[in-house]
Amino acid sequence: MSRHLSSRQISQWMIGERTPQQERHVRDCSQCGAELARLEAALALFRGSVRHWSDGQNRAELPPIANISPARRGPRIRPVRWALVAAALLVLAAVPVYRDAQERQRQAEIARADARLLEQVDAEVSRAVPRPMEPLVKLVSWDFSFTGERDENRRDTTPKEEIR
Amino acid sequence: MIAAVERSASEIDDLDTLVRLYWPRVFRFALASLRDPDAAGSVAQDCFLKAYRSRERFRGDCSIQAWLMRIAVNLIRDRARNRRLQFWKRASASAVDLEAVNQWIPDGGASPESRVMAKEQLAAVWNAAGGLSERQRTVFLLRFVEDMDLLEIAAATGMKEGTVKLHLFRALHAVRERIGRLE
Repeated sequence: MSRHLSSRQISQWMIGERTPQQERHVRDCSQCGAELARLEAALALFRGSVRHWSDGQNRAELPPIANISPARRGPRIRPVRWALVAAALLVLAAVPVYRDAQERQRQAEIARADARLLEQVDAEVSRAVPRPMEPLVKLVSWDFSFTGERDENRRDTTPKEEIR
Repeated sequence: MIAAVERSASEIDDLDTLVRLYWPRVFRFALASLRDPDAAGSVAQDCFLKAYRSRERFRGDCSIQAWLMRIAVNLIRDRARNRRLQFWKRASASAVDLEAVNQWIPDGGASPESRVMAKEQLAAVWNAAGGLSERQRTVFLLRFVEDMDLLEIAAATGMKEGTVKLHLFRALHAVRERIGRLE
């Protein structure tokens, strides 16, 4: 192999993909050897500088396991979250119950009102004289009444007078 | 294989061990990706919390490192999207950090000339990495900073091995171009 390494072959070399032919060529070719050595040196410097920088930062802020650990981080947050969820569920559950109770109360009131109205209607229907005319009936000594009580009184008194 | 999966599962169950073993790598990868120590710390924390919470889903078909890196890659991607609007605001602060990072050169008794050259090379790689696409930068960092192999990178990024290679080639090409300009 007499030709120099192509750009692709140099990249392949850098990631560890190299043929025996290429290895022989690099040993013999100062130009390709120098190119690879320079690239390797630059990448080694870069690796070293990143590690140096990272190590310096890491010493300043050690792994904060206390912040990471969900077991230690959790209890501060979870009960509050669960309490909020439970409260929300409670409200959601209570609303239909409350509405149901209100509705039942309203229905009961309507039923009571209906019952009162019916009683009134019954009373009006069973009345012999319309209520506005009742005072007139009392004034007039007109012993005519459709009420059962007066009929009975009349029936009770009349035979006694006849017996006398 | 079963023993390896059981071992992995038990390692994941022990959060303290998990953090102790893998925190430096996850933090380093996040730092190199975001170039912001605060954001990197936040991503690393979220990564371990997420990993711990979803540990039952870890089937052991890849290494724990690849699994953690996959979570970190997703978190970084989300954060990078959210940060786009803040980019210019933060750019100056990050530049200060990068300036300091670029000055780092290992002590090796090198001549002043070679130290200057090394600094220039280092700056060139940092600049090239900054100009890469998100995917190219991710695979570049996983390969050349974290020393992960192609299959692990594929598992960590969800890409196919061939796609990982393609992004690596492009990233290396960009780096070589930058270094080439120094001559």
